[in-house]
Amino acid sequence: MLRFIVRRLLLLVPILLGLSILIFLWIRALPGGPAQSLLGERATPQAVEQIRHQLGLDKPIYEQYWAYLRTTASGNLGISIASRRPVTTEIRERFPATIELTVAAMIFALSIGLPLGFFAAKRHGSAFDHLSLVGSLIGISIPIFFLAIILKYIFSVRLGWLPSVGRQDVLIDAEHPTGFYVLDGIVTGNWNAAWDAVKHLILPAIALGSIPLAIIARITRASALDVQNEDYVRTARAKGLSPGIVDRRHVMRNALLPVATIIGLQVGLLLGGAVLTETVFAIPGMGSWLAQAIFNRDYPVIQGGVLFLAIVFVFVNLIVDLSYGLLNPRIRVS
Amino acid sequence: MSIAEIEAETFTLETPTGGLWHEAWRRLRHDKGAIVGFCFVAAFVLCALLAPWIAPYGPLEQNLSLVAHGCCAGPSSAHWFGVDQLGRDELSRILWGARYSLVIGVVAVTVGLSIGSLLGSVAGYFGGVLGNVIMRLMDIMLAIPGLLLAIGIVAVLGPGLFQIMIAVGVTSIPIFARLMRGSILAQRENDFVLAARSVGVPRRSILGQHILPNAISPVIVQATLALATAIIDVAGLAFLGLGDPDPSRPEWGAMLTNTNEYLQVAPFLAIIPGIAIVISALGFNMIGDALREALDPKLRGRA
Repeated sequence: MLRFIVRRLLLLVPILLGLSILIFLWIRALPGGPAQSLLGERATPQAVEQIRHQLGLDKPIYEQYWAYLRTTASGNLGISIASRRPVTTEIRERFPATIELTVAAMIFALSIGLPLGFFAAKRHGSAFDHLSLVGSLIGISIPIFFLAIILKYIFSVRLGWLPSVGRQDVLIDAEHPTGFYVLDGIVTGNWNAAWDAVKHLILPAIALGSIPLAIIARITRASALDVQNEDYVRTARAKGLSPGIVDRRHVMRNALLPVATIIGLQVGLLLGGAVLTETVFAIPGMGSWLAQAIFNRDYPVIQGGVLFLAIVFVFVNLIVDLSYGLLNPRIRVS
Repeated sequence: MSIAEIEAETFTLETPTGGLWHEAWRRLRHDKGAIVGFCFVAAFVLCALLAPWIAPYGPLEQNLSLVAHGCCAGPSSAHWFGVDQLGRDELSRILWGARYSLVIGVVAVTVGLSIGSLLGSVAGYFGGVLGNVIMRLMDIMLAIPGLLLAIGIVAVLGPGLFQIMIAVGVTSIPIFARLMRGSILAQRENDFVLAARSVGVPRRSILGQHILPNAISPVIVQATLALATAIIDVAGLAFLGLGDPDPSRPEWGAMLTNTNEYLQVAPFLAIIPGIAIVISALGFNMIGDALREALDPKLRGRA
């Protein structure tokens, strides 16, 4: 297991290096360049040259890359052009909102997708099975932002059941030691604040979780169908184990393996979808921040934010791969 | 055992007739999902092709008297889907918008499919250092969440409908490359490839005429599904304000986005283009799904 972890960690090095080169080149390819975007359209050539010199853009490209790599590795992602604050500070403030949203979306997707797929497989060929298949196809065909707008219209505008924007009611006086609002409410014993934060999360989580839900339901169904017909399941039934035990110990555990891999890949989809969901629900997270940064042509923010999210995504997949080893004893041996 | 196989067990076995494609076609005709999906896609394509003739009004034609007393006149016999905030007929704009969505989907998928398959086949067939470099590059692209990658590419290329199609297409390159490589690797060791090699067929024709036709079916399935994703992603970019810089163009994503502020008074203006997007994406998803089962070679010889 240790060798497996070490090997996976070593494989990360070229990916992260490649990622940094890609983002480095990407910034150079942007129209106007950083100097222009700092100074605006009407900058004099002398001023542009001066800024280029200050930023070290007149040095050879490999020296620039080395300098970029050094500052980035030391945790310095530059300063936002729009807010004049360090990008890392803004990430620290905004990332918890995005984690909270993606985790809530994943909880929603798993808590409905897993049982849905499992029961569809159990009642294979039934009306319920067909309905779940059609439903999951519709689920992957709805644009996230469209679903978000519809949910917001029905449940906040029309029915007024749930709040439509932000993370917490402005009138609620709450402390935020961790930045995760639900957790903050629980930690500080402010149940009112925690419940309000949960209410703010429900609609965005449903909108963002709809596609992963559909995919998880489909994969669970497919893999449970596969496992149900394995010899060891028939053996387990034949030796008289109760159906519940066979389902839990033999079918579910094995059927979950492909689902685990899919979950890691869904995180990329969720982080991308968070851009849309956060914009619709005006959640001050990484996604809406990046979308805004694109409007403002705030290159340090885009650069730092994308690099950060990509690193998060790579690490989540690493963790999923490692937990795969825990779920599946056969991998640990090989 | 695949699901398709399990599902197929209830059918009687038949002797294989004709080639893989012939049989796939036979199976597709009996698949309800495929038929419904095909109807959706056919309606979508027909709207796109026939828009100038079947649309009751021009996409830019305004009737300002209908919005003089606030937004917006809802569905009526003269305007089946109502009019938008500028007094333009919503139905006509939806029909014209189908053209944009169709072109967007096809161009984006063509970009992803052609570059991705080329890279994947080279990596799969030649392998070695080159293959490794290509696949690591694909890994790096996959590490960036798709929508963010598309946003980054649009930032470099500048705003515009064509640039968006390219951006969305590029994000699908790694998936096609991986699929193609896997598929080619599986075919490369086949006996017919060995036979071709031993009689001295040049490498290029082995790849082009022996391996590719056999490796292509998963790629075709993915291309169908990618059409749905491309339509949805382009609409998403439009929603973020990265869409078509010309607001008069009836692109579905932009139509949905621009009417967002009228949601309280005229929800139909956002709902109708949204449903148009869902139906076209659903159509491609259903066909892709059915194709996947129909083209599964393990199912050959079954009804």
